[in-house]
Amino acid sequence: MAENNFRALQSANKGKTYFLLASMGVLTWLVAYSALTYFGAGTTSAIVPIAVGISLVGVWGSYYGSDKLVLTMTGAKLITREDAPELFNLIEEVVIASGLPMPKVAIVEDTAPNAFATGRNPEHALIAFTTRMLEVMDRDELQGVIAHEMSHVANRDTLVSAVAASTAGAIAILSDFLTRMMFFGGRRERENQNPLALVVSLVVLMLAPIAAMLLKSAISRKREALADATAVSFTRNPAGLRKALEVLASDTTVVRQKSNAVAHIWIESPLDGQTVSKLFSSHPPIQERIATLKAMESLGPTAN
Amino acid sequence: MEIIVIGAIALLVIFAIAQYNRLVRLNITVDEAFAQIEVQLKRRADLIPNLVETVKGYAAHEQSTFNAVVEARAKSTSATTVADVAAADGALTNALKGLLAVAEAYPDLKASSNFLSLQEELSTTENKVSFARQFYNDTVRSLNTAVKTIPTNFFAGFAKVDAREFYEVENPADRDVPNVKF
Repeated sequence: MAENNFRALQSANKGKTYFLLASMGVLTWLVAYSALTYFGAGTTSAIVPIAVGISLVGVWGSYYGSDKLVLTMTGAKLITREDAPELFNLIEEVVIASGLPMPKVAIVEDTAPNAFATGRNPEHALIAFTTRMLEVMDRDELQGVIAHEMSHVANRDTLVSAVAASTAGAIAILSDFLTRMMFFGGRRERENQNPLALVVSLVVLMLAPIAAMLLKSAISRKREALADATAVSFTRNPAGLRKALEVLASDTTVVRQKSNAVAHIWIESPLDGQTVSKLFSSHPPIQERIATLKAMESLGPTAN
Repeated sequence: MEIIVIGAIALLVIFAIAQYNRLVRLNITVDEAFAQIEVQLKRRADLIPNLVETVKGYAAHEQSTFNAVVEARAKSTSATTVADVAAADGALTNALKGLLAVAEAYPDLKASSNFLSLQEELSTTENKVSFARQFYNDTVRSLNTAVKTIPTNFFAGFAKVDAREFYEVENPADRDVPNVKF
């Protein structure tokens, strides 16, 4: 019983995110330490701030303006109550259930059913749906989808993914700089070092970007699972979201994106179909998400 | 030595303020959540005259159903305490179910655009009422847990915050044991 209800799932997924974010921290430290071993203090103290700085400026700029930026990157248009009264009714329901402020609502003209949420905090939240999504979903299913998107807002997933992206970015830039420097014969400081330490730090520097990518994807998957659980805590109706995911799973059309950079924000990833391994995908396999929701349904109606 | 003592006292004061503020904040959230229930109940009450008139236009002789709805509505608008509001809310929900069941028997009514838009309004408002209840009960649960657990319970009297009442809808149908036949 305790393992499948939404409260247990929420806290388990939160715990895993903290663990993964901490691993990111450890990885960053490991990279900095390897750089220190290989290049000595002089080079490292110059390169690390630059890499971290570039990554921070890039990611946090887009985090701060995420609601506006994503609008232009996805071609979404803001709508008002008059454009879609039923959709607004449903969103207001979830707003009441979650206790969050009313988000901005946008529509993306697209033949694939999909949806996303963004915004730096609940006050600047934006949720968007493709036109096809509104056509194929019934009331309960759409409510489940809205609850999933509002869960991203409630769990501040734009912030979590910004943290993950900026660390992964810093690691990638750092590793890129340093491996280039190796080829051009950096490392002129001390020669009397343990060769094993040098080899290990070399390997760490080369592999770190891949490890960071894996961690970033793992964090994203945990946040998706968490959003599914939080959605159930809002609607207390796992069946709605489960049916919506089944519709998405059976639909093979993919959002015609303007940019792959925002692929991770959709409820159903437009890229995961192409990825080599589950380890690199930003979302848990959709069948797994459906199974988790089904398990919650079998617990019966949750009391208020 | 002095610095340690002053530091310890400062930490204790900060801790006490945090507990006090947490309780007061939870208490305000519960008030807000209850106000939200009332807003949604008011919305629903406002929809009813229009709905009754529309159904009457097609099914004039279902007088007892209309009366039940109107009576339940009158009761719900005068209730104030949590228990009274909850009881009146449950009664009105049942009366409305009766009204919609009547509407099922009249295809012309069901097809009328006026009825369809009222039905959408009513079902979203019903959902909002039940989500507002659920949110209220969730906030009451966190408040009551805080009032009864260490360390917040030491500050409850000081902050004048008490455990609050859950919003429980009196619905006789919910309490009946389902009759399963094989």
